[in-house]
Amino acid sequence: MNELFGLSMTWIAVGCVIATALIFVLVALIAVRNPVMFKMGLRNIPRRKAQTALIIIGLMLSTLIMSAAFGTGDTLTTSVTAEVYDLAGEADELILWDTDKQPAAQADQVIPLADVEAWQRQFANDPDIEAFVPLNFESLPVQNQRTRLNEASATIVGFRPQDAAALGGLNDIDGKPISLGPNEIAVNKELAEKIDAKPGDQVSIFYEGKPVTLVVKVIAPNEVLSGAFNSFAKQGGGVDFATLAAITGKGDNANGVFVSNTGGVKSGLSRSDVVVDKIEQAFGDRPYQVQPFKKDAVRFAELLGNAFTTIFVVFGLFSIAAGVLLIFLIFVMLAAERKPEMGMARAVGAKRRQLVESFLAEGMGYDLGAAVVGLIAGMGVTVLMVAIIKSTAGENLGLDLTVSFTPRSLIVAFCLGVIATFIVIFISSWRASRLNITAAIRDLPETHPYNPEAATWRGYVRAALNGVMATGVPVGLSLFLIGPLGMLFGSVLILIGLVAPWFYLLRGHNVGLTRDHRTSEGAPRWPWILGILLPGIGWFLILPWYFLALLLVVIVRDRKPASMPRWLPIAGIVVPPLGFVVALLQEARVQIAWSVGVAFAFGLAGAAMTYAGLERDSSFWFFLGVSLIFLFAAVTLRYFGVAPRLSFTVTSALLLVLWYLPGSVYEKVVGELNGDIEMFFLSGMVMVTASVFIVVYNADIVLPLIARLGSRFGRILPAIKTGVAYPLTARFRTGMTMVMIGLIMFSLVMMATMNTNFSAIFLNDESRGGFDIIVQPNENNRIDDLGAALQAAGLPPTDIATTAELRIAGSFEAEVQNRDGKKADNEQTADPNDKYVPEYMRFTVIGADAGFIQSTNIGMRIRAVGYETDEAVWNAIRDDPTKAVIPAYLIAPADPFGPPAGELLKLNEITGPFQPFTLKLRDPGTGNVSTITVIGIMKDAAGTFLTLGGSGDGTGGIITGLSTVEETFPASRGQRFYLTLKPGVDGEEYAKKVESALVQASADSLQKLLDDQQAISNGFLLVFQGFMGLGLIVGIAALAVVASRAVVERRQQIGMLRAIGYQRSMVALSFLFESGFIALSGILLGLFLGLSLSWVLFITGDFGEESKGAPFIVPWLNLSVICIIAFTASMLMTFLPARGASRVPVAEALRYE
Amino acid sequence: MPASNATTPGDDIVIEARDVQKTYDTGSIQVHALRGVNLSVRRGEMVAIMGPSGCGKTTLLNSLSGLDDFDSGIVFINGTDITRMPDDKKTEFRARDMGFVFQTYNLLPVLTAAENVELPLIVSGTRPKVAREMALQALDRVRLRDKANQRPSQLSGGQRQRITVARAVVNRPAIMWADEPTGALDSATATEIMDLIVELNQSANQTCVIVTHDPKVAARCHRTIHMADGVIVREDSQATMREVAGSHA
Repeated sequence: MNELFGLSMTWIAVGCVIATALIFVLVALIAVRNPVMFKMGLRNIPRRKAQTALIIIGLMLSTLIMSAAFGTGDTLTTSVTAEVYDLAGEADELILWDTDKQPAAQADQVIPLADVEAWQRQFANDPDIEAFVPLNFESLPVQNQRTRLNEASATIVGFRPQDAAALGGLNDIDGKPISLGPNEIAVNKELAEKIDAKPGDQVSIFYEGKPVTLVVKVIAPNEVLSGAFNSFAKQGGGVDFATLAAITGKGDNANGVFVSNTGGVKSGLSRSDVVVDKIEQAFGDRPYQVQPFKKDAVRFAELLGNAFTTIFVVFGLFSIAAGVLLIFLIFVMLAAERKPEMGMARAVGAKRRQLVESFLAEGMGYDLGAAVVGLIAGMGVTVLMVAIIKSTAGENLGLDLTVSFTPRSLIVAFCLGVIATFIVIFISSWRASRLNITAAIRDLPETHPYNPEAATWRGYVRAALNGVMATGVPVGLSLFLIGPLGMLFGSVLILIGLVAPWFYLLRGHNVGLTRDHRTSEGAPRWPWILGILLPGIGWFLILPWYFLALLLVVIVRDRKPASMPRWLPIAGIVVPPLGFVVALLQEARVQIAWSVGVAFAFGLAGAAMTYAGLERDSSFWFFLGVSLIFLFAAVTLRYFGVAPRLSFTVTSALLLVLWYLPGSVYEKVVGELNGDIEMFFLSGMVMVTASVFIVVYNADIVLPLIARLGSRFGRILPAIKTGVAYPLTARFRTGMTMVMIGLIMFSLVMMATMNTNFSAIFLNDESRGGFDIIVQPNENNRIDDLGAALQAAGLPPTDIATTAELRIAGSFEAEVQNRDGKKADNEQTADPNDKYVPEYMRFTVIGADAGFIQSTNIGMRIRAVGYETDEAVWNAIRDDPTKAVIPAYLIAPADPFGPPAGELLKLNEITGPFQPFTLKLRDPGTGNVSTITVIGIMKDAAGTFLTLGGSGDGTGGIITGLSTVEETFPASRGQRFYLTLKPGVDGEEYAKKVESALVQASADSLQKLLDDQQAISNGFLLVFQGFMGLGLIVGIAALAVVASRAVVERRQQIGMLRAIGYQRSMVALSFLFESGFIALSGILLGLFLGLSLSWVLFITGDFGEESKGAPFIVPWLNLSVICIIAFTASMLMTFLPARGASRVPVAEALRYE
Repeated sequence: MPASNATTPGDDIVIEARDVQKTYDTGSIQVHALRGVNLSVRRGEMVAIMGPSGCGKTTLLNSLSGLDDFDSGIVFINGTDITRMPDDKKTEFRARDMGFVFQTYNLLPVLTAAENVELPLIVSGTRPKVAREMALQALDRVRLRDKANQRPSQLSGGQRQRITVARAVVNRPAIMWADEPTGALDSATATEIMDLIVELNQSANQTCVIVTHDPKVAARCHRTIHMADGVIVREDSQATMREVAGSHA
């Protein structure tokens, strides 16, 4: 795995190591400069061992998720790369015929050995090229005459020993060199297992129906010389070049030439580009192409690893976000717990900075422990996930997954965990250090000085002005989204935003005070130290701006006007440079309502994002922008005296309504918006947060209800009441915990629900196309009449009700008109003369016979005008073989998780009945062109059906009449038969019978293939759910932390309750009710939001047209299991604190200070 | 645990402590908080416990009321030996027969005044309707019925303490224990609270044990016992304490 979100992992690692080293340096400096505070911090760690354990569990989650995601990426990259190296060995490039340079029939696409020998001579002394190895390879059926076991498609390779020596020659399993005589074959390990072959066995291979008998000389490892070209189909064998040439009649021609670069299996790869250039020059006007296949395969392996890591990191974002909230919550609580101690420390002379340092020392103790534990746990999770993938995907995976971790990934995971935790600890400890000393000592709530401007327009404008200046960087960046004018304003704001935070830091400091209030204390020195220590970031983003801020503060501190015109701050918001001057000239002691100011700034950014979303048709920017505007509205309303319950409830409810609106509704107003996987994350964050606001501000309405039901609850009534009431008095921590649990539940519910419903669409009965069995003849041994072939093989087709045939011109042998003029990357071009827009692009074309058309039940998603029923469409194809239907894939927007489009054809989206349109088909081999008329778009289930049991590119294909394909693509070799069995005949059993009767064909039960796909789908769901479920640990740990804290906080109250007659069990119960209330609220919120959003998106067709009419399925069993696990785990985790509460010694608690 | 080998006290003795001893073990130091305290309190009597900080006043109150265990000695409450009583029984006993007032009000901030007052009743199994009725009556007695639906944070310090007094008497207990009930109040509010406690004592013939530093509070009680170093060193009558309080005024 080399990249994450497009950034080089090496550079990420370097950055992370530097940042982590600096953090350690900083902590070491604290230890040296301030040993007392350092010790004070560290000694807190063993004070409460259970709490320390909880904190470490909570903090480790980010590291765990990172290391598990990276580990999975590494495992995939390493496994695929190892497979590539194993199979390819010394072979680095492959020379093939190039149909773009010269169309030719498949059989004629050969390279004369004379050409190869000429290259061998030409490059004999080349420092980069070691050898050219001409090969013939054919996919042929093989049958072991001893065991009668056969394989319908084995790749048989013919090579000359003198050439093959350059690739290390062919060796047996033990590595001994093999020389093959005429009519001898080396069967590779994979094929040997399939047909149970042993040395000395006679095997028959079939070419165009004629058998040739060969003797198995030896079992060879799976590699290119023994026919293992493809990870998904390694079965094959190696024979002498002349033997295969005699069978196929190709004479002194090869159909491919391997090139081996100078160097070893891996080291030769670096010469690939040079070698490709050299060989291409040597081709002259010959119609060949050279493919750096090993380099491409290794690059693909890396892409695969990167993609999986990215997917896991994206899906882990919920958990990481929850983890960050938890870290913040933990330290806010620790700070609350230590408030009297900190107040005392401040009273006896400790500075705020020293409190921060003490906290940092303690936090880093937890942080280091958590990063190590998280790393190890993440590795364990990777092992588990790989085991699940292996057990569920099994052989369908096509490679042997071996868990591996690169040191670089482990370092990055460790460092990211340390850095993220450090940043959160720093922010929370800074917040904690801003305490009121007397309130802290007496453990009273924080008091705030009277603000004469509170709830006034003057105060609001001041807050808005300062909010925009302080958040200049993010607000300025968001303005960049709205075009040149926005960029102009944004650039100015960004510059101001770089200075402003330092200015606000200095504003409250001695250096910012007026002459008569100023003492000799100098400006803070830590920004200088930080700026110097942080290479790059510090030099460019801290030092100059801090210097500038200091300079400005010094200049203006004694020159501030006594008053300012009221319009000036308003003008300052509109003209940022003026605003900055106004902010600088403010009286240092004047109070700023920061929450309102920041909300205003985010509202401004939200407006820019909304505009950008509309301009760019981007759902993400539009919805993020609107959500920020709603937040701004709620905070503003509260500022002006609207009750928080009302302002937050109404704005949150409206926001939820907006998010629930189906695309078809809001797009009428705002036009078409496009979103991707990021919308999943955004919708979860916003909807869960909005719902939590509604719950925490309104849950107390259940209290009277509980009171009314009082007699039913008996003695536990007070416990129930306090269980609901207490959490609502601490809205911040309750809300945060609910958000954590709600977010994870939301993602789990969405994933399970969508998986179930998509499975219902893609893997339903229609996915069998109306058939029971698929029979796939070998491409070199077509079957003209399946019934006759079965009869001849001793299996009279009496159990078969109908037989259907498809002829397939695969995407490598068929081209289709690029009707909508898309580029190879599927981008639309507006320039009709764009030379990079190909006239034709590759796509599979399938010819269906009358039997298929008669029997299939493949439905149409959309029909062309004039075709009232699906049957009418199929009948039209039967009557006119130039009529055609296209797969839904062809008109679907690019799917980030679907098969890569590459150079495959894509058409513009079609959403409703359309006029029939034509498409030209072209055979790149012969240049034949024909025209078809598209009259229908098949349902997604057709895509599943057409890819079942086959290799292909996973896109299905265009279905037209059989004769059209036969005439246009005469050399196409793909053939399939579909059988419908008579009632009562077992599909799986019959498929086995067909396969053993027909040497040259494979046969499978379609239902079995569907079941296998479903199992794989469920397996991956399990892995993803398990991975995302890790986030639940965060929520549950948060509950335990909250409960532990509540026990400490309410010790006296517990003592009082016990004094007046609460039994121990009642005390414990009331704590369990509290945790239960929070957990249940989070779980039910996630469940409700996930289900309802899935339902809305599903039935409105936002997840694809086909979901519109489909019944919505709720996977109750899966969801129940998730909910029960989450709730039970929550209760178990809070049991210990609850039990602790019940055991509080009464007298001690009452005296507790 | 001490052995219960004594005879039951007379009918009018509500609290009887015999040779109660308690030592706190802080690991390195042992603090003898009670060194053999003997005490009898009659029904309807108001007794103040005074002494310097750390003399064992609160420890004695906690031991007598069953909030805390003691090392040896016997305590009878209303004729019942609570020395060996299991925790659950002791808890029920407290809920039924005792009321508590503390210096810090210890009201549940999340409950209303009425809900706070009715708590002891509900946990001892009284039906919610009845409990609410009794709570309102108790609030009547402390003249705070109009504040029944307000939360502690909406009340003044004196009002909060009156709520705790209402909570202490709502179950009409035989004994009210008060630990520095006026410690956090200004003198006017303290007088008001003491008036209330005295009134309740007189009207319901309720026994009241008050730990206090304040001679004025002690002067409102029938007698005052003085403690030092974990033992009772002397006893003063109400008249004596009134003189002392007068000299402090």
